[in-house]
Amino acid sequence: MFVYEKKLQYPVRIKNPDPAMAKFIITQYGGPDGELSASLRYLSQRYSMPYPELKATLTDIGVEELGHLEMIGAIVHQLTRNMTIEQVKAAGFQEYFVDHTAGVYAQAAAGWPFNAASFAVKGDVIADLTEDMGAEQKARATYDNILRMADDPDVIDVIRFLREREVVHFQRFGEAMELATARMDRRNVYAVNPAFDKTAGR
Amino acid sequence: MTACAPLAVPMVAVQQSSQPAYDSGEALAKGTLFPGLDLPFMDYVATGGAENGPQAELMALDFVLQELALYLDTHPEDTEAFKTWKNFVSLAEKGRKRYVELYGPVTRRETAGCRSWVWTEDPWPWDNGGKAGKS
Repeated sequence: MFVYEKKLQYPVRIKNPDPAMAKFIITQYGGPDGELSASLRYLSQRYSMPYPELKATLTDIGVEELGHLEMIGAIVHQLTRNMTIEQVKAAGFQEYFVDHTAGVYAQAAAGWPFNAASFAVKGDVIADLTEDMGAEQKARATYDNILRMADDPDVIDVIRFLREREVVHFQRFGEAMELATARMDRRNVYAVNPAFDKTAGR
Repeated sequence: MTACAPLAVPMVAVQQSSQPAYDSGEALAKGTLFPGLDLPFMDYVATGGAENGPQAELMALDFVLQELALYLDTHPEDTEAFKTWKNFVSLAEKGRKRYVELYGPVTRRETAGCRSWVWTEDPWPWDNGGKAGKS
């Protein structure tokens, strides 16, 4: 069950419309390494995860990612809410505008709609945690790239915050990996998959 | 690396303690409670976070709780960190009370303390970061 809190995790207050920036930041809403992908990845991987600390980690990080999805939505909304048609044209934002006006749609920077193929649920403890660590690094690198291109301090400050969260989440998934493998056969952690071979690794 | 470390397993050094830690406002500004995890890109350091008032306080305390929760998820036996968690829960509850009195409910349930169904009232968080952030 989820309960909505009528606040953001970190303030988003962008004064000036900038559809050119919205055009690539939208990728963290619905793109391959975006927050929607992140939240669904972790919240879906929980079910087959056999260890309690890992169920908790996937749940708590997955829920935080939903909060980040909301922050990215707020950024895109505030970058586009007061834009003029002249700004739409000057920014090359016509393709998005004609389909979505100033709405927030889950798509990648290149225009592809959100695709569940952007994340995996393997049902294998080591495979899923390795994917999660990689996912945090890919999201971190995406935020690095956004920081390279952003010039509005109102945007930079929020992106910087979101990027740092990826670093923290990577650390927690790394520790989760340690907790998981500590329960496996240390001579051969691949002997079984404790998410499926129920008598092993408990 | 220890001699018995298994091959072919991704390894990240385990954080040894929930201390040292930033204070709550600094933690929110930086995006982490823990100086050891504060690893910014190039020279991008916090420019916000200098905000004051009940909303900044609420966000900062809730952020510390999130950071401590993620730490405790992988360190459930850390009794010191759990003690810190309990202290921050009580601080955050007080902060939330002040915020709700000034700006209205954060959760739907909190409307029970209001005169009417104010849940629907603008601004919503994406409008400008919430009521206290209304410009």
